[in-house]
Amino acid sequence: MTILDARGISKRYGGLLALADVDLSVAESEFVALIGPNGAGKSTLLNVLTGLTPPTSGTITLNARNVTRSATHSRIRAGLGRTFQHGRLFERLSVLENVMVGAANRPGRSDTALRKAALDTLGLMGLERFAHQPISALTYGNRRMVELTRALAGQPRILLLDEPGAGLNSGEVEDLMTRLRAIRAEHRLAIVLIEHNMGMVMRLAERIVVLNFGSKIAEGTPTAIQADPAVLDAYLGAGSSYAGV
Amino acid sequence: MALRLLGLVGLLVVGFALSLSVSEYALRLLNLAAIAGISVIGLNFAFGYVGLISLGHAAFMGLGAYILAILTTQAGWSPWLASVPAILGTGLCAAAIGFPLLRLKGHYLALATLGLNVSFVIVAANWIELTGGTNGIAKIPGLSIAGYALSGEQPFLWFALVILACLGFVASLIQSSRHGRAMMAVRDDETAAAMTGINVTAIKVAAFALSALYAAVAGCLFATHVNFVSPDDFGFAQSITFLSMLIVGGEGTIVGAILGATLLTFLPEWLRVLGDSYLAFFGLMMLGILIFLPTGIIGLFDRWRRRAPAPETAAAEVAQP
Repeated sequence: MTILDARGISKRYGGLLALADVDLSVAESEFVALIGPNGAGKSTLLNVLTGLTPPTSGTITLNARNVTRSATHSRIRAGLGRTFQHGRLFERLSVLENVMVGAANRPGRSDTALRKAALDTLGLMGLERFAHQPISALTYGNRRMVELTRALAGQPRILLLDEPGAGLNSGEVEDLMTRLRAIRAEHRLAIVLIEHNMGMVMRLAERIVVLNFGSKIAEGTPTAIQADPAVLDAYLGAGSSYAGV
Repeated sequence: MALRLLGLVGLLVVGFALSLSVSEYALRLLNLAAIAGISVIGLNFAFGYVGLISLGHAAFMGLGAYILAILTTQAGWSPWLASVPAILGTGLCAAAIGFPLLRLKGHYLALATLGLNVSFVIVAANWIELTGGTNGIAKIPGLSIAGYALSGEQPFLWFALVILACLGFVASLIQSSRHGRAMMAVRDDETAAAMTGINVTAIKVAAFALSALYAAVAGCLFATHVNFVSPDDFGFAQSITFLSMLIVGGEGTIVGAILGATLLTFLPEWLRVLGDSYLAFFGLMMLGILIFLPTGIIGLFDRWRRRAPAPETAAAEVAQP
């Protein structure tokens, strides 16, 4: 079943075509990676999907509902979740409160229920010991993990992750990958991942979509993408050594 | 919850003790401080939690006061009855204005709310048949409870303290609810707040309307306490004073709002010896607080508490692995 379906998405900024007729369809519990060089339009696509930027043309369907003109918060309530490239947390709230804000996207849950849901989600991510700390006490890696936890607490059907591995050390990246796999399996969560860490992309993604200059230049399994000449030329570079990953 | 009730009881006890021991003049100032405190707790929703710089808070206090004044003196309503449309009408008015106005951010919002306050004063000073113009409205009836008139400074202070304590309590409940967290989330990062499913516009308008509701309650108390309103009482300088009270006390906290309101009500009286140079002193003091105490007096307490943790908390931390 398709959770998210974006058709013919274009975004024009004056003379610049940031996205040109891009299609992206994600099925339930599917793991899709979105790759491409800097400026290819990956983050713009995420902004269009989450409603931060209106598309110039195209339609977006989320859970069989047309959300092309919907506000960001109503898309979130309809099952979308997102994290940002540099991690954006609510600095004046504690870790637990940040996650409670994420859990509160559905009306009618009591404060006790929100607290429990937030603590459970923190536990799932191995962060329960930070629950009562201020955000300023967290390391960069943990900040990113708390942001991911906040998004997960909203129980999304599809999660859009903008470079979750950036700035993490290799141990943290391994930990992140293990948890992402486990959460996806347990909650039938679909994930769209923007990532420059090709090792991570090749190991996690079932399908890879490659953008370059705002256009989709390739789409397929990790194996197919690594052999695609257009991709090699644009991004991975000739003589790429990812075949063995 | 226990802490909250303690604060409520503490405020009432301290206020009651003061009301029995100070001069009539100080009682009057305490009344003004309690009224300002209610207003500043309201401003705290907009500025302290959501970060909306409002320089038009006095206009909402004025709107509440004027509606009550007009309904009591011209239509013969009882002040209790008149306070209902005064408070609710002001809240609705703020919500209606908030929708277009809150699309503005930062300095632009500050300027727009300042303009709103200036417009309010111009209307109040020139719609003479309704507002009495610059002469204001006199002979506003005072409040009475079961035949007992709250006309003296002391009984009025008791009443104002109860209202202040109750509204402070309600504000603290809102602060620690999902709505309070949503407000602070919007202040910290609007985009990230929207990305957790928060309707940012609705939260901003709600906080703005809530701040106006509190201001209108303060306005009603002011009108029934002083028994007279005029445009001068609700000028933009008063809005700036409210904002200063919140910053001095500690934005984002209810205790800070009350402390700031009390301090800045008494300070001009204590420093009467300075004469006109009080304004220069006030400016320098604000500058000093913004630079050295950006979290206000409350921040000072926090800093002091962190430097010297109570022995029992330290022991508890050791006991809990």
